[in-house]
Amino acid sequence: MRANPWSLGVAAVVAAFALATLAFWIPADIESGVVETFRRRTTIGDALAPTVVTVCMLAVAGLFAATELLRPRRESAPPDRQSLIFVVRVAAAIALGLALMVYTGPLTVDAINAAGGEIGSYRQLRDTFPYKYLGYLIGGTVMVGGIVAVVEQRLTRSAAAAAVLATFILMAMYDLPFDDILLPPNGDQ
Amino acid sequence: MGILDHVWLGVVAVFTEAPIASVFGLPISITVVMVVLGFLGGIVVGAAPGLGGPFAMAISLPILITIFGFNPDALLPVLGFMIGIMKGATVGGAVPAILFNTPGTPDSLMTTLDGFPMTKKGEAGKALRVAHFSSASGDTFSDLVLFTCAPFLAIAVEAYLDFPEKAALIVLSLAFISAVVGDSVWKGLLSALFGMFFAYIGTGEDNHPRLSFGSDALASGLPLIGVVLGVLILGEVFKALEDMWREKRATDAIAAPPESGDNRLRLRDIRRIAPFVGLSAFIGTMIGALPGIGSTLAATLGYATGRKLHKGDVPFGEGTPEGVAATEAANSAVSGANLIPVLSLGIPGNVAAVFIILATETISGFNPGPAVFRLVPDQINSEMVIAFGLFTAMVFANLLNWTIGGVFMRSMGVMVRIPKQRLLPIVLLLTLTAIYVQRPEMLAIYIALFFGFVGYLMRKLNFSVLPFVIGFILANNLEEAVRQAFSATGSDPWFLLSSPISIAFMLLAALVVVFFSRGSGKPSRR
Repeated sequence: MRANPWSLGVAAVVAAFALATLAFWIPADIESGVVETFRRRTTIGDALAPTVVTVCMLAVAGLFAATELLRPRRESAPPDRQSLIFVVRVAAAIALGLALMVYTGPLTVDAINAAGGEIGSYRQLRDTFPYKYLGYLIGGTVMVGGIVAVVEQRLTRSAAAAAVLATFILMAMYDLPFDDILLPPNGDQ
Repeated sequence: MGILDHVWLGVVAVFTEAPIASVFGLPISITVVMVVLGFLGGIVVGAAPGLGGPFAMAISLPILITIFGFNPDALLPVLGFMIGIMKGATVGGAVPAILFNTPGTPDSLMTTLDGFPMTKKGEAGKALRVAHFSSASGDTFSDLVLFTCAPFLAIAVEAYLDFPEKAALIVLSLAFISAVVGDSVWKGLLSALFGMFFAYIGTGEDNHPRLSFGSDALASGLPLIGVVLGVLILGEVFKALEDMWREKRATDAIAAPPESGDNRLRLRDIRRIAPFVGLSAFIGTMIGALPGIGSTLAATLGYATGRKLHKGDVPFGEGTPEGVAATEAANSAVSGANLIPVLSLGIPGNVAAVFIILATETISGFNPGPAVFRLVPDQINSEMVIAFGLFTAMVFANLLNWTIGGVFMRSMGVMVRIPKQRLLPIVLLLTLTAIYVQRPEMLAIYIALFFGFVGYLMRKLNFSVLPFVIGFILANNLEEAVRQAFSATGSDPWFLLSSPISIAFMLLAALVVVFFSRGSGKPSRR
């Protein structure tokens, strides 16, 4: 049996990551060394633990690759083109849901202000009804409904209704009993 | 104050502190209510295919912390709820396995082998009763071992292990978990090493937060709850969704065959299954006490041992109660024993223990480890009181299991009808909301999603996620122990080899890795 290309690929990526980390990241992004001596007292610096862990990664990646070459084994279901399609679709559903979650509230408030409503900024309204629910309800529904549609490979009315209902229940579960909780994305505003 | 005083204070804390109602003049404490709710909720979740105890613990932890706050008074209600979920989910997992040939959790896979054939023969009621009796027995036995062993092990650790030995013990635990979980030692080690590496981002003692790319978002380190929930829960959700997307399997409701004949659990049935329950409870407890080895292996070993022992008319695999008993007693016996390494060493050995550690780290006031059982003359050790309170909550949950658990469990067949492909996206949104509630910034959600993708990728590449999570949790403890050991030994660079015990631990760590790396085709034990 030939060595599994996925296993060799993983070992190569890990080894490259470890070498780059040792050569560039650790020296550039850690101020203290592996050990520090101050007034004749030697202590362990912040670089020791990440350096040891990265050196171990490099060694284990080498042993992993060697084992795979000497005693290859079959992976049960490695990622393939179908996995990539699935990841892209689910990521799109999540990204769309999150974008709607973040921007629906502020854009609605801006639109009302632009129409002469003079209701103030979203930051001022982020804990008031109905503005505090807009982003979560619409974004959450699209996220849940979108993922269900991806998995079921069609969008049904019952799935859409379940997404609305589930998001509504989650919203009520967090917001109604607790005064000091902010639903996403209101904590950032 | 002696040990018994602390035991009594623990019992009192569970049953009398913060009463929220009274029945016949007896106060009903919040901890008691939380154990009951957790236990019943655990059975419901365990009975839902595709979910399980870790899902429920992950989702409920941020909600509970929001309700109870970050003060030590929150510890017993929150931990009580988690314990309830842990025990309830173990019992509930047998329901879909027996009624619908669909294991609710990986642990109950072996339960389908005899449970579903019994259902097909019209003995579903008896199979469920056998599963409940065996599960409750295994769980009770395991808890008794925990109560007896954990304090003594902790006292021994505290008496004999100094900083170098504690550092070496963490190295040994990480090596052991990496070696025994999953199908390759090297993959397990890489998983643990990456977990440790991520834990070092933004932490350290220097003024400059290390490895943070100068980013303010990373300067305080990666959020524990975001990383753990991302890898453990979101990664599993993504993988399960992809499996369903690939299979496009029918989601029509299924019905269990009707019951016929005597479905009660008689004394003669109990006598028949007792040896299998006893043996499997012992196997499950031994397996559970070792960090990293899960209940799936315990169930497999319990079933295999039971099959060798069995001499009845109906062979294993064709619908014999002994088969159900052997599996359920073994996988349930793991849950209590799994807490032995947590409470005595501070080292989480499985996913449920990870959430117990997560709860205690978030709330503060209780640091699982050997110091918990340290006696201070003329003083109350509040951590020991919490530990005995936890034991009391476990005993109370066992009582619930013996009394109402069976009836409630047998009514949960309906859970299998919930379509998993609609439940999991809701779990995803619930998890993201729970993470945001704890840290109200979208960055926390993005970090959790990133680690969800990492968890998904690890599962696709057959990397076990448990070493990653445990490496992430223990990395800073290990670094702290190493710093203190280095300092205490007068900057001796060979401090890990400074005593016979630490040398033994380091040698064992190397031996474990060498031993498990020899088998190239060992089966997955996740």
